[in-house]
Formats: sequence, C-alpha cells, structure tokens
Amino acid sequence: MKKAPLIAAAIVVVMLAAFPFLSPEVYYLSFMFSVFMYVILASSWNLIGGYAGYLSFGHAAFFGIGAFATAKMAALFELPPVLTILAAIPAGAIAALVAIVIGYPCLKIRGPYFAVVTLCFAFVVDLAVKNIEWLGGAEGIWMRIMDVQEKLSRSIMYEVMLILMVATLAVAWWVGRSRLGAGLRAVRADEEVAETMAIPTANIKIQAFVLSAFFPGVAGGLFAYYLTYIHPDVVFSINISILIVLMAMFGGGGTWLGPIIGAVILTMVNEGLSTFARAEIARIIYGTLFIVVTIFMPDGILHFFLKRNRGR
Amino acid sequence: MDAVLVIQSLISGIMIGMVYALLSVGFSLTWGVMHVIHISHAAFGLLGAYLAYSLLTIYGIDPVVSAAASAPLLFILACGVYRLLIKPVTKAKEVIVASMILTFGLAIILENIMALIWKADPRIMTPAYASGALILGPFYFQHPHLVGFALSIAGIAAVYFFLKKTYTGMAVRAAWQQPEAAQLYGVNLYRISMITFALAVSTAGAGGISLALLNSFEPHSHNLWLIYLFLVVIVGGVGDIVGTALAGLIIGTITGLSMAFLPFQWVNLVTFGFLMVFLIFRPHGLFKQGA
Repeated sequence: MKKAPLIAAAIVVVMLAAFPFLSPEVYYLSFMFSVFMYVILASSWNLIGGYAGYLSFGHAAFFGIGAFATAKMAALFELPPVLTILAAIPAGAIAALVAIVIGYPCLKIRGPYFAVVTLCFAFVVDLAVKNIEWLGGAEGIWMRIMDVQEKLSRSIMYEVMLILMVATLAVAWWVGRSRLGAGLRAVRADEEVAETMAIPTANIKIQAFVLSAFFPGVAGGLFAYYLTYIHPDVVFSINISILIVLMAMFGGGGTWLGPIIGAVILTMVNEGLSTFARAEIARIIYGTLFIVVTIFMPDGILHFFLKRNRGR
Repeated sequence: MDAVLVIQSLISGIMIGMVYALLSVGFSLTWGVMHVIHISHAAFGLLGAYLAYSLLTIYGIDPVVSAAASAPLLFILACGVYRLLIKPVTKAKEVIVASMILTFGLAIILENIMALIWKADPRIMTPAYASGALILGPFYFQHPHLVGFALSIAGIAAVYFFLKKTYTGMAVRAAWQQPEAAQLYGVNLYRISMITFALAVSTAGAGGISLALLNSFEPHSHNLWLIYLFLVVIVGGVGDIVGTALAGLIIGTITGLSMAFLPFQWVNLVTFGFLMVFLIFRPHGLFKQGA
C-alpha cells in the first residue's frame, strides 16, 4: 500500500478531531455531525449495494433499529451518558442480527426484487415499532440529556461520531482490498460465473450485508442520543433509505471514495438548500439534482471526473 | 365476528383492489416492456387526482369526465417526459437502477409541486353524489366508491383491448416478448416505448382519480400507493395485464379481510409482510412458472 494516501487520510482525521477545540459555533458541530453520520451510512451501504450490486432500499431500518435499541436500553437500565454512548455498540449488534435473519432469505432474490423486498422490510419494521407500546409506540422515547453545557455535549458527540466514521471507513477500505471485496465484485459482475468459480456467494453476501447493517445501527444509536428524543417517523423515514442510496450512487458506487464524496456533497447541498429556500422549492431542486446526475453522470461523480482526466 | 361486516369489508377490499389494479397496469407495462421502474408513476396518478379535484371544486366537473379529459393531457406530458428524461436513461448500463433513481427524483419534484399548488392538507373528492349510497339488503355501497370501481374496470378493459386488438398494442406486446424479433418485423422500438410510457402515465391518472374517489389523499400519498403498485405488479407478474388485474383483486381481498379482523394500523403491516414473504418464495409472480 502506498504511504501517501494513508498519511493524507491521517492528517485529515487529526484536523477533523482538532476542530471542536477551536470552539466553533454549535451549528458547525451539528452540521459536521450529520456529515459524518451520512458518510457512515453511505459507506456501509456501499458494502452490499456498491460492491455486490445488491441495492438495499431499506437501510434506514438498521439505522432505526440501532436508534430504538439504544434508547430502550438507556431507559430500561437507566444508563448514565457514557454507557448510553457505549450502548450504541450492542444496538449495532442487534441491527446486525436482524440483518442475518432478513438477509438469509432476501439475499437469494436479485435485482429490482431485492430492492423492493428491502423497501418493504423498512416499512414493516417502521409500522411494527409504531404499533408496539413497549418500544414507545407512536409517541417515541425520550432520553436523559447529558448534564453538561450544550457546546461540550455537542463536541463529545462530534468526536464519538468521528471515531465511528473512521472505523467504518477503515473496514470499508479493508473490504475493498480483501478477498471478500473481490468476491463481492465478482457477484456484481456475474453471480452465476462467480458461483462456478467456487466463490461462496451466499456466504459473502451475508457477510457484507451484516457489516453494512452494523455500522448504521451504531450510528442510529448515537443519533438517538444526540437528539435525546426519537420517533419512528424520524429514524425509519423512507427518505433516509433513499438518501443513502443516492449518496453512494451519486459519489460512485463500488468505490471507497465515492460514497464519502457523495455524502459530503449531498449533505452540504441539503443543508444549503434548507437554509436558503423554502422547503418545497429546496426539495424540487434536490429532485432535479437526481435527474441531472443520472443523465449526465450515470456512474457517479468520481467516475465522471476520472474519465475526464483520462481523456486529456 | 358479524358475517355481514366480513362480507362488507371483503367487497370494499375487492373494489379498492380493482382500483389498485388500474393504477398498476401502466407500472407493470413500463417495467415489462421498457425495463424502466417508474417510481414517479404513483405521483403522476396523484397529479391526475389533484387535477380532477380542482376541476371539481372550481368548475364542478365530474371526476369521471376529468378522467377522460386528463388522459390525453397526461399522455402528451408523458411524451415530453419520455423524450427529455426516460430515453437517455434507457441507454444507461444498468437501466433499472438508473431509472429508479431518476424517477425517484421526478417523484420528489412532482410531490413538492403538488404541495406548493394544493398545500399539504389531506383532500377528499366530493362529487355531487358523494353522500349517496346504494343499499342492497344488509350491505351498502357509497356512490363514489361504485364510480371509482366502475372507472377502474373500464380503464383496465380499455388497456386490455388496446393491447390485444389494436395494431400498436400488438407491437407493444411484441416489443415486450422479443424486442429484437419485433425490430426485424419493422416495429420502431423508440416509438413503441414512448407510447407505452405515455399510455402508462395516462392510466395512472385515471387510477389516481379512481383511488381519490375511495380514499383521501395528500401530496405524499404516492409513497404508500407506490408500495401497493409493487405489491400488485409483483404478485401479478411483471408485464402481465390479466395477472395484474387478478393480483389487484387478491390483494384487495387480503386488505379487506385484514380490515375486518385487525385494528386499522396493522392492515398495512400485514400487506407489506405478505409482499415480503411473497417476494421470497415467488418473485416472478403467482401465475408464472420459473424465470
């Protein structure tokens, strides 16, 4: 592995970690928090959606499961702040467990059918949580807030989410260069051929799916604690599922860097639009963006610029 | 459980199932013939419903008349959408993925244009006969429901007739079954795709109006409608008109019955759960053998 990219990445991480110490406004901390969150979501989605070409349109389900599991654990055991943050890890494990149960039958179906079944899965989970009183039902769950100044609590959450992002990206990097990644790419290129080449397709698809559910689950837990109140409509929204897909595809699915670029750009665009335009107009512009990207950059932004440079 | 109530829910279920079938026919065709998954299909249906709603409230025009009038309008609009947006996508490497993302963007645009024009409040279609009902023994049927049901039967029959009897319709079927062979026999695939897409969108408009006669609607209703589209099309088999109509009835029956026996909020849960199980065991539809 070349040294230069590693050093560059390390410098970026250190700079990001140092950012809260410059005592920026809370707004920027919150903004960066959501950028990190979407980078995590898009990059983990990319493991199954990008590398293997299995488009999950229900990834918000894992995010939401993580969020509700964390909130429920915090309420059940009356956890103090530090433990609540750590509870996001078992919550991610719960999301991963659900991914095994769901992935086993669902990963047998391909193409658009897989997209639809995952979309349905997200709806089912959302409706189920809303109708189960024990999980807070349609009213949602409140959590204890951190007993410190707002800026400090925001900075803590910022750093925690940054750590999770680095972990996710490290795993995504590793997957991209491992046998697992090569196998997933083979599945995407041609599943039948991959199978005849003795690649254990069913096995590696499950592995990728579970990994791609775990990190969103943990991120959901952190997000829940960050909001201190969660409601099914917020964390299970179909818009989150679709946004994850778009960010990854927009940046360039199946690459390591693509989802990062996509998540950063789209979060910024989203933020900018919602600040400067009315909600409806902002969403119309947002929708137009999807269209422009699919028509002019069908392989994502990354490929678009790489191809251009190669052309010269 | 009261037998009358069960039968009543069953009949309402069948009626709404037929409406879902009309809404789904076009979705099934664009998917089958063009390999385009048209996510904004339901949003176009909703647009039809809103147009009919405005015509009704401002000029007092009956929704059935609007359904007939909006069909050519949506047809022309859809031809434009096809030329500008869908055609470039059909040349992409992965048509299905690209089309899903592009039309999802289109759905967002349509939804928010509708939210701007008609505001986010839920609406109900109230034609002159809205309060009337047909009473048959212990059962009663609200007039708007009957009209919506009749409209969807007429719509599906029209599509079926078009595909089976007209020259263009046969070309559409040929393009679906054997695109290369159809081209050899002089079928212009580009024109056929445009006609299929535009026809699909105009049936979506009629379907949206029918559905609006049965249920209330708001700018984001198309998301839920979309799930039913997938449900009906996948159970019926992609591209199969008769299958779609039957699937509509089956799904209507299931929702109808679950409405009689379950609290309201569990109905959708049952429906989506059914779709998931169905997809896992019979992804190519109920009426087809294998892939």
